Amino acid sequence: MTMIYAAIRSVFVFFLFIGRKARKTRLFFLISGLPVVAALIIQTTRVFTAGSSVDGPAVFTVILMAFNLQFLILVLALFYGTSICSEEVEGKTLTYLTTRPLPKPAIILGKYAASALFLILMVATSVVAAFVILHIDRLFDAGAWLAMLRGLGVLALGLACYLAFFTMIGTFLKKSILFGLFFCFGWESVVQYFPGTTQKFTIMHYLKSLLPAVTLGGEKLSFLVFRLEPSSAAASITTLLVLTAVFLALAGLIFSRKEYLFDD
Amino acid sequence: MTAFIRTEGLSKWYGNVLGLSDVTLEIGPGITGLLGPNGAGKSTFLKLITGQMKPSIGRATIDGRDIWNQYPVFKRLGFCPEQDAFYEEMTGWEFLRRLLGLHGFPRAESDSRAEEALRFVELSGDKDRLIRGYSRGMRQRLKFAQAIAHDPEIMILDEPLNGLDPLSKRKVIRLIKEYKDAGKTIIVSSHVLPEIEALTRTIVLVHQGKILARGDIHDIRDLIDKHPHMISVKTHDSRNLAASFVGEPTVSNIRFGPAPDAVVFETKDRDRFFALLMRLIAERKIEVEEITSPDDNLQAVFDYLIGK
Repeated sequence: MTMIYAAIRSVFVFFLFIGRKARKTRLFFLISGLPVVAALIIQTTRVFTAGSSVDGPAVFTVILMAFNLQFLILVLALFYGTSICSEEVEGKTLTYLTTRPLPKPAIILGKYAASALFLILMVATSVVAAFVILHIDRLFDAGAWLAMLRGLGVLALGLACYLAFFTMIGTFLKKSILFGLFFCFGWESVVQYFPGTTQKFTIMHYLKSLLPAVTLGGEKLSFLVFRLEPSSAAASITTLLVLTAVFLALAGLIFSRKEYLFDD
Repeated sequence: MTAFIRTEGLSKWYGNVLGLSDVTLEIGPGITGLLGPNGAGKSTFLKLITGQMKPSIGRATIDGRDIWNQYPVFKRLGFCPEQDAFYEEMTGWEFLRRLLGLHGFPRAESDSRAEEALRFVELSGDKDRLIRGYSRGMRQRLKFAQAIAHDPEIMILDEPLNGLDPLSKRKVIRLIKEYKDAGKTIIVSSHVLPEIEALTRTIVLVHQGKILARGDIHDIRDLIDKHPHMISVKTHDSRNLAASFVGEPTVSNIRFGPAPDAVVFETKDRDRFFALLMRLIAERKIEVEEITSPDDNLQAVFDYLIGK
């Protein structure tokens, strides 16, 4: 067990270093910063428009629920997760990893951990910055900070789970991006609104069950929680953690059994 | 400690396509050259003995231990892949020390081993440059460095001289020989006979996924010398060089191309041809960019050996 942990840690450190320098990191950091730009524009407009009715905290909740939860974490997890295996195969660098004294699952888990850390940092930076800008006149409101931290926790759980899912998909599907797009904007976007038990077959259901969306967003966000029949917080967290573990275990298993051939 | 690689009835299919068929070999210390035309099965063999692929039938072992999914064997094995692929945003120094980190070496030891490997391949002066700025020769030497940095007993090199200029080739050949002198087991694959010849006398000929012959290179050469050999020389003075060989009895054919400034000679006496070529280059101060044996020539040699 100690050896596996040491192997995962060494791969994690390796990809933390590479990830810092990767162009992909810079690109997605910019995309995740869009809510900050939007928050700045909104606040600037408010300053220059006397009597503006824009409510900063309400806008923040819309950003959190509509952009971060429904779009950003899906896209980030999709592009990072599917590339965990495929960028090594397509870049033909996989050989450098598989000819080291490392158990193969450790390669996947170490790279997953590095990617998860990057994504959580990206999203957290964006969320905190947007929160501060939109709550500039209520920075000492402890309740708002707690709600923001709760939202951040849900996004982190979502990132971990989606990233694990797409990591697994990337280990066995060559065109995993196409499948991922269908999953994100087909399955997850539609099935979460199905009544009854069906909506529980989406990851989004458990994430939304953890957010006090209705109370925070009021009617503006009612479309996001339309027909939501929330599961309990404990069941949601347990399900998300179990799903993450299962996806990662399968990813490690597939990666250690499959032969990856380079296109020459 | 000496290490042996053994294969027993090793076979590999890619779907219905045969990659390697029933290869039984034992390879011990020293340099063994794996020679065969492109697509012969050399890379498949190397992928099987480096655990990147699982045998369809048979076994590949290092000192009796299976290789596929047995990660501890990689403490003893260094692999220099054929593909020119790197983490381009890293410096040569970072690339080596981070890969050494994957071997579990502590940071200080990774640093010192990386320094040592870079010194060995003469890249110390360029260690802080990004890999994407390295020349082909530097990249090849860096690949070599990552294969030796952890001081493995076995080194497997897939086409290590491919695409190198003559000077870089000489450097890499010297490095491989130095490593052999330390008592290591080295397997080198190539599709160019003179490259293998410059490294070792022990060769394994691979053709259509099978071992065609195995033994001393001179025995094979005796057979090959009866067959015309093609040598391509790339130089700005290609016309002058070609004119110098007109009437030379060892040269049976001269033609230009396919690369610009390239002239291709066909000879049945390779040694005499090279002696003459070197003399002319020195006497007339001809600047030569590259000397190669075109691949199709080796294919012809194999066809000749199998009696096609």
